[in-house]
Amino acid sequence: MTTLPETKVLDDAPSLRDRLGSALFRQEGVLILIGIIALVVLAFGSENFLTVDNLLNQTRFLAEIGLIALPMTYIIITGGIDLSVGAIVGVSAIMLGVSWQNWGLPLELAIVVCILTGVLAGFVNGLFIVRVGVPPLIMTLATLAFYRGLAEGISESRSVRGYPDWFEQLGQGNFLGLPTQLWVLIVFAIVFAIVLARTTFGRSLYAIGNNELGARFSGIPVGRNKIIIYSLSGLMAGIAAWIFVSRTTTTRSDYGSGWELDVIAAVVLGGTSIFGGTGTIIGTMLGIVLIQILKNGLALTGVTSDATIVVIGSVLILSILINNYAGSLFGALTRRLRQTQQNT
Amino acid sequence: MAVTAPSLGRSPSRITPRFKLGSLLSQEVILALALIVIVLVVGSVNARYVSERNLTSIFLGNAYIAVAAIGMSMVIISGNIDVSVGSLIGVLATLSGTLAVNGVPIWLSWVIPVFAGMLAGAVIGFFVAYLKIPSIVVTLGFLSILKGGLISITNGEWIRDLPAGFGLAQERPFGIPMPIYFMIVLTILAALWQRYSATGRAIYAVGGNKEAARLSGISEPRVLMTVFILNGFFVGIASILFATQLEIIQSAVPAGVELLIITAAVVGGVSILGGTGTVVGATLAAILLSAIGSALVFINVSPFWLRAVQGLLILVTVLADLLRRRRNQASLKG
Amino acid sequence: MAKKFLSLALILTLLLAAFASFPVAAQDRWDGADDLPVNPLDCPMAEGAEMAATEEAEGEMMMPEYDGGEPVDAPDLAGQDITLVDVPKLIGVGYFAATTQGMQEAAEELGNVSVTTDGPTEANIDDQIAVIDNYITQGVNGILFAANDPVAIAPVLTRALESGIRVVGYDANSTPDARQWFVNQAAFEGVAKSLVDNMAEQIGVDGSFAIVTSTFTTPNQARWIAEMQAYQEKCYPEMTWLETVEAQEDNILSFNQATTLINKYGPDMDGIFGMTSIATPAAAEAVTQAAVCPLASSEGAAASEDDAVVVVGLATPNAMKPYVETQCVERVVLWNPVDLGYAAVYVMRRTIDGEFLPGATEVDAGRLGMLPVVNNSEVLLGPPFVFTAENINDFDF
Repeated sequence: MTTLPETKVLDDAPSLRDRLGSALFRQEGVLILIGIIALVVLAFGSENFLTVDNLLNQTRFLAEIGLIALPMTYIIITGGIDLSVGAIVGVSAIMLGVSWQNWGLPLELAIVVCILTGVLAGFVNGLFIVRVGVPPLIMTLATLAFYRGLAEGISESRSVRGYPDWFEQLGQGNFLGLPTQLWVLIVFAIVFAIVLARTTFGRSLYAIGNNELGARFSGIPVGRNKIIIYSLSGLMAGIAAWIFVSRTTTTRSDYGSGWELDVIAAVVLGGTSIFGGTGTIIGTMLGIVLIQILKNGLALTGVTSDATIVVIGSVLILSILINNYAGSLFGALTRRLRQTQQNT
Repeated sequence: MAVTAPSLGRSPSRITPRFKLGSLLSQEVILALALIVIVLVVGSVNARYVSERNLTSIFLGNAYIAVAAIGMSMVIISGNIDVSVGSLIGVLATLSGTLAVNGVPIWLSWVIPVFAGMLAGAVIGFFVAYLKIPSIVVTLGFLSILKGGLISITNGEWIRDLPAGFGLAQERPFGIPMPIYFMIVLTILAALWQRYSATGRAIYAVGGNKEAARLSGISEPRVLMTVFILNGFFVGIASILFATQLEIIQSAVPAGVELLIITAAVVGGVSILGGTGTVVGATLAAILLSAIGSALVFINVSPFWLRAVQGLLILVTVLADLLRRRRNQASLKG
Repeated sequence: MAKKFLSLALILTLLLAAFASFPVAAQDRWDGADDLPVNPLDCPMAEGAEMAATEEAEGEMMMPEYDGGEPVDAPDLAGQDITLVDVPKLIGVGYFAATTQGMQEAAEELGNVSVTTDGPTEANIDDQIAVIDNYITQGVNGILFAANDPVAIAPVLTRALESGIRVVGYDANSTPDARQWFVNQAAFEGVAKSLVDNMAEQIGVDGSFAIVTSTFTTPNQARWIAEMQAYQEKCYPEMTWLETVEAQEDNILSFNQATTLINKYGPDMDGIFGMTSIATPAAAEAVTQAAVCPLASSEGAAASEDDAVVVVGLATPNAMKPYVETQCVERVVLWNPVDLGYAAVYVMRRTIDGEFLPGATEVDAGRLGMLPVVNNSEVLLGPPFVFTAENINDFDF
């Protein structure tokens, strides 16, 4: 008896394949539909919206949240959650600045320190969740306060400024015509998508989310895999911190505060069930893009931020609502289809 | 009793109600002990910490958080979560102040926001219970909608010139601030209700084992509606205490309050997986958090490290709870 | 099992080591240090009139060398209708509602300006950058901003200048070359002097005080506190600086923190500074409810003079009226945020009209008259204003 077994009672447990298939069919479809409607409406609303320059520029704003959302998708698929990601961004960013300016490390090394800080922070989360059995929400709620506190304490709330020009390339420069951080996001998104869909590791995450005890009995290294995904979450938060510092050319201990809810909203909007077991990277990316399109497009058509967050909140609820109904419609159709097949 | 069906792979402490009761009591004991230790240790360093005035402040400090945590506990026990409470407190406090300055009788400007809170809870509950949308999605959505809506309408103007007698939270019957009465009375009532009423016990069943709950004839949607409406009620009261403590109301959403309320509930021993916990623990946890916040100022912890120490202490409390449960489990196995 | 405990022990040791290596229980009070030089003003012995004279003399002596930025290929819009956007630190708070009001007044007066206020819903620098970026794409004629971070906001403002958009800051500055002008509500050292002088007058030159601020990372508050520390050391070396506590922008937390300070120090603390328009009224309420108001006639009067706690702070008059009326608080320091917004729009209009060019020493700001240029590219609104029972009811913001 090493950990508390945490399993969910499944109301109805369709096969893994069914769930995957219908998820692909459903939420992504809903998001693409809403996305297209938004694009068309907003393009009519402002001539500055549907331009290559504007859309490319927007990718600078979604890269950090997007990177963190990738491992968050993994974590939520296993039925877990990580509320500490924003605080990890804060502490990683601070370690970058402090190790460079106060400890005199070369900036290249400071970047490594920044990313390692993220990994360590995520690893500690994972270790306690797996080895001690602290529920993920509680563990990461506690480390949300703790890591943010470390960021404040280590930095003594001072900003670190004056980064060299080459360092700012990642956040502000272009590579092969695209914003540098967009490349980073694309590469990681592809890797995360392939790992999730095509590897035993990725498949095991769905199994853990659907039935952790079952997954354990079928020989999946549940504990190890969970530690890996929480460490991945820290890793991506560290990289996001690096990009964010590079984009803003300064380091503050309050960096990343509130990001956890933005990330979770995007993942959930992307069709990952908060109860675990379903979800895709494509869905998450669509969720991220849709939120950014709305934020940007509404602003360009003259809607202020306060009204924009009302719209985004409504879209979040509505898209899941549509998904639910489209889902049951889809389910009814397939059942009907199966019945007809059986009858004939 | 509430949970009778044997459930595969659950922690055994959830199986028999009697055992659950015993383990819950000791969770509250842990919190109470932690509270006493802090008071004694810090009191020995600085005697002013245990002065009547400071102890009153500690109880008062998080009183409205504790009241809101009662509702949050029920929501979490039922297997849900509500991240929109901070926004709702901002909206209801603004509503209360706006009514009062526009000549609505004071008692009505206290009562209407509570009903408005219950209405908001009913809407959220409807989405969760009948439209089957996960509560985190609904309340994330409501967080944005309420906050954006509030800013659009008020622009954050201060509400001032509140009528005399509006300051409910400033009243001090028998020298004790009003919010403390609210905190204690509501906690006791809620604890009794959860323990002795059929619906109160059904919340544990819904959060612990949906299948068993259904089999024993509990209507899950109805229980969830009750939970969210009650949560709205407690948030409504919390927002009145919040609104009436100062002479002015900032018509804005207080930052980070939802995390504080959720923290109080989970540190109080409410399992985030649903099914276990009591409101008494949540209230004790809210007081403990207040005591810690005060203690850190008293013992001169560097202000930069305050939040880190706070986070660490939360972690330690949670770990103590886990170890206790683990031990209980082991002793159950014999 | 043993392995598990080993790894746990390892982690705990690591955590403890992390703590041990940093000064967790440091006694050093926080004095807002942000590595920028402090510039304490002369002590009040010199009397106010003389002070003002020396300041003016300084202004005349050195020709301001403009260090602001310039828009690239900005269209000539002199005298034409212009569209401005105002991006405060955050929207939905009383202070920026007041600056917005001033901007609308100026826009109405000028007749050829339209201003929209839009900003992040939380004081986050990343959201603020995104909002400004959107308005650059949308193509406004000018951007007015109050920065959440002076350095982090610079790249996006530079992008605005490069797109031919005029940029003027107010309330919270950016690095100078990322904007054209900054309308300074009151010099940092002036605010610090006013606060400390007013406190010293009430608690004596050997009094002790604590500070309630928002967060240590808020740039303006950090500067004020740093200047207060320098000025206090220079002019009131006998005063005791107890400690600084954070209270976010949360009124209940501010109330709790102020109460904790009162309980902690008892008669050993004579005064509290509130550094935000939220902390100051909350501190006043805490003093009232703890019954330690300094004046005997007030509602929550202190039992003895020894117990009394004086509150001096930055706050809007509306928020402080109840406490000034009960005489629990005597003095509140602030500039007029409505005037600040008003001046920002005027500076922008004059800049676009070509009437206010680099090197100018003053600018015509409508009903506010001529405002002086200080620190090379800043327009000074004036000295901070002290509200007392006599004048507080004349203001409504």
